Amino acid sequence: MSVITLYDYELDEHCYRVRLLMTMLGLEWEPHPIDMVPGQEEKQPHMLALNPLGQLPVLKDGDLVLHGADALLAYLAKTYDGANTWLPEDSADFGRVMMWLNFSSSALGAASQARLQSLFGTTGVDAPLKEASRKAFRIMDDHMTKRGYENGEWFVGDHVTLADLALFPSFALSRDFGIDHDEFPALRRWIRRFRNLEKFTTMPGIPDYH
Amino acid sequence: MTAPTGWIPVALSSEIEAGASAGAVVDGNEVVVWRDTSGVAHTWEDRCPHRGMRMSLGFVRGDHIACLYHGWQYDTAGQCRYIPAHPDLDVPQTIKVPTYVTSEANGIVWSTLSDAVPDEAIPGETDEVTPLRSLYVDCPAAFVRETLETASMPGFSGSEGETVFTAVSDVVWTLTSGEDRLYIGVQTVNPSRTALHVVIAGPQATYAGAGQAHFSGWLETLRRSLEDDAPDEAISAQMTTAEVA
Repeated sequence: MSVITLYDYELDEHCYRVRLLMTMLGLEWEPHPIDMVPGQEEKQPHMLALNPLGQLPVLKDGDLVLHGADALLAYLAKTYDGANTWLPEDSADFGRVMMWLNFSSSALGAASQARLQSLFGTTGVDAPLKEASRKAFRIMDDHMTKRGYENGEWFVGDHVTLADLALFPSFALSRDFGIDHDEFPALRRWIRRFRNLEKFTTMPGIPDYH
Repeated sequence: MTAPTGWIPVALSSEIEAGASAGAVVDGNEVVVWRDTSGVAHTWEDRCPHRGMRMSLGFVRGDHIACLYHGWQYDTAGQCRYIPAHPDLDVPQTIKVPTYVTSEANGIVWSTLSDAVPDEAIPGETDEVTPLRSLYVDCPAAFVRETLETASMPGFSGSEGETVFTAVSDVVWTLTSGEDRLYIGVQTVNPSRTALHVVIAGPQATYAGAGQAHFSGWLETLRRSLEDDAPDEAISAQMTTAEVA
């Protein structure tokens, strides 16, 4: 197996998604810490050579260089998850997982932005971003409420997939930008299940119950 | 902020699993709802006496709930029993979270927001219920009521009938359509936000699965129209609340 390098910033939720999957897959990797705040190292020439968008995460696996959390998750699952747990083989379930991956990078973009504003900005969180995040969480809560009626415990199918993994961080971190979990009962139950998965690992902002 | 009196619905029983905790806000008062690992539900003031952290962010260990901040552990009477930074300390009796009288009926967790047992019983006892969902709506409770009074809810069991709204009390409404009846516990979060804790008054054998999906889908439609049609003063009240928060 070639050496995997993750260009990583600990407080970045997208980097966390990739660390989480690699941990759950039992992979070993070399972390390459990037000074995102305040250094903006991801926008320096040596990083732009790896990802011209100037964003994290970036993953190197041997000669292959990839960027964008969704692409990294899909690549890692396809390459290293022999059991096809995270990326289902069944085409309908595969489609559903891709739909939620897309939701994570589009609808939940507001939540990522709101969190960055809250943690690193100086003027607080823009109200429309917060409202858009809340709306996205509601769509997720409605979905998991429905899944509950058919005894489904996960976003897609009968076991955890990349859909759950990609959606988990934004909701688990929502208190960072002032959205409580009170109004999302189905998501509360779902993150409890997710947290109880073997090999689950946290990041700063997601408490490790002691 | 003054606390309301009597029984207040704060969560669906099925939403609070053993070993889990959640926050609820009643007229601006923060409440933690938690269930110990033996299955008993508790409602308390949602504030750790140590540093004011919301207990609902904490975690349950057996019959204790621990604050997320510094791990102070409280027993089911709200009494602090253990302070991790001072493991040998005999914790003073004065370190105590205010606890509220709590009950479960009709698939809903009820709190009194006080330590006094109310004179009246929980309204509208129902034999068999099927849990449905909690619906959080950005509009005043009075507007929800006004809308439900003239709402038309498609039934599930097949029998056609008019939709009948009944206010059993200020905090319990029912909506009947043919043979089907929804039992609704009403929690006023603040002047512009309302929580409805909804169960189906009927056996799971009839309603589990398709019946739940039917009424849950209708409630989502209801929420959309409530928020689209809420009067302007409700919206501006919401903006003010958002700014304060």
